[in-house]
Amino acid sequence: MVSKTEETQLNRLENQVDNGGGGAWEYLCLVRKLKVRRSEKVLKYGLSILNDSRKRSALGPEEWTLYEQVAIAAMDCQCLDVAKDCIKVLQKKFPESKRVGRLNGMLLEAKGSWAEAEKAYSSLLEDNPLDQVIHKRRVAMAKAQGNISGAIELLNKYLEIFMADHEAWRELAEIYISLQMYKQAAFCYEELILSQPTVPMHHLAYADVLYTLSGLENLQTAKKYYASTIDLTGGKNTRALFGICLCTSAIAQVSKGRNKEDKESPELHSLAATALEKDYKQRASDKLGLLTSALRSLKT
Amino acid sequence: MAAELKYEISQHAYIKLVLHALKHNTTAVNGILLGRVNPQNENVVEIIDSVPLFHSNIALLPPLEIALIMVEEHYGSQGLGIVGYFHANERFDDAELGIVAKNIGDHIFRYFPQAALLLLDNKKLEAVPKGKGQSPLMQLYIRDTSKNWKLAGPDGGSRLVIKEPAANVVLSDYISSEKWQGIVDFDDHLDDIKKDWLNPELFK
Repeated sequence: MVSKTEETQLNRLENQVDNGGGGAWEYLCLVRKLKVRRSEKVLKYGLSILNDSRKRSALGPEEWTLYEQVAIAAMDCQCLDVAKDCIKVLQKKFPESKRVGRLNGMLLEAKGSWAEAEKAYSSLLEDNPLDQVIHKRRVAMAKAQGNISGAIELLNKYLEIFMADHEAWRELAEIYISLQMYKQAAFCYEELILSQPTVPMHHLAYADVLYTLSGLENLQTAKKYYASTIDLTGGKNTRALFGICLCTSAIAQVSKGRNKEDKESPELHSLAATALEKDYKQRASDKLGLLTSALRSLKT
Repeated sequence: MAAELKYEISQHAYIKLVLHALKHNTTAVNGILLGRVNPQNENVVEIIDSVPLFHSNIALLPPLEIALIMVEEHYGSQGLGIVGYFHANERFDDAELGIVAKNIGDHIFRYFPQAALLLLDNKKLEAVPKGKGQSPLMQLYIRDTSKNWKLAGPDGGSRLVIKEPAANVVLSDYISSEKWQGIVDFDDHLDDIKKDWLNPELFK
């Protein structure tokens, strides 16, 4: 998961390389560090370095990391021959390597040879039962074959052992959301907020799920988490600002006719609405009219 | 709905939806169809425009609710309403109309009983650069009397056609020139409000 600043930096670098301004190696390192999926670019720029013997030897021992990175990108782009070549080079250099064994497993996956890939992974796991990457490959394979319940089972088992893997929790949450299993998704986000309380994305996702679940209590809690998102992002998160307005409107709907003692204070809603209007006026003025009508329809 | 309806989608709306799916080829995507019943022929539903919505966490309500309010507001002033929903599944092999699509479809149906659900046909999309077909790369689903979404078959009944016959050729061109890079959806807008989900510059 990448922060906004990191993403901007990456995109700037990507533009630079795209426009011939150099920095390909820097870009590839940043992609690796941030663990983002930009396979077409990685393939293009990675190959341009690998195919140039001078650039390649200038990398020193990082050359092999690049071969691995390009192999994976190639598989993602279905350029299996390129992947095979890269893996061959790595195999020659590191003949007994488990890491190369993993790449071979991934190649089988990319070809759709699920049973063989499963066999390869199982045997690698025998020698190394705590290899996180292989466990996650099996989740990915289940997902790729449409076996979503299998993926969920595997992912849950994985998280029992590796409970600090935040990306895995997020993946699980997203799978649950896609199946409309919102309570289970909420649980995942609760785990994430507990372990990373200052990451605003978790608060926002949790709020979104609670709002979707609906019910007065969930809506009130959602509002709190939209508020904490706004807090953690210095008021700059458009989704959270909208979230506040949606919550206020929904809460009013749900508690209509109930004599609620704790009347919702309208201040938070007006603050959020004002912040949105100010932002749209500055940066998206052609949509300001739409925003105003939308907010008006949400004001109860 | 016993009537046989013809759903006529404009090239503009059609291409936008496919390009959106191509841009986010690792996730499910969805979009909204805007249009109206043909004022001269009530058996024809014109799908005049489309708005690409999301490419992440499609089953969450808050972004969807905001998008629907804004989209309806914008097109309402042009006399157009929401007439349907488009969905593209995450996996190539998945040709099923999923529950999220059906739920959103049900919601739209309440306001527009001739609502259309369009599901991207991945196998047809794969064949686009080679073939010269004129048929749309989407399957049409309509709600039948038993409240289920039924696939509109080739054996009569309602059908989906593209208004401009050369649409797939234009689409092929755009695919080769990677035009999908420029497409903006509502997700992008919520992340950066400077990005315009109306995509005014896309086909210039």
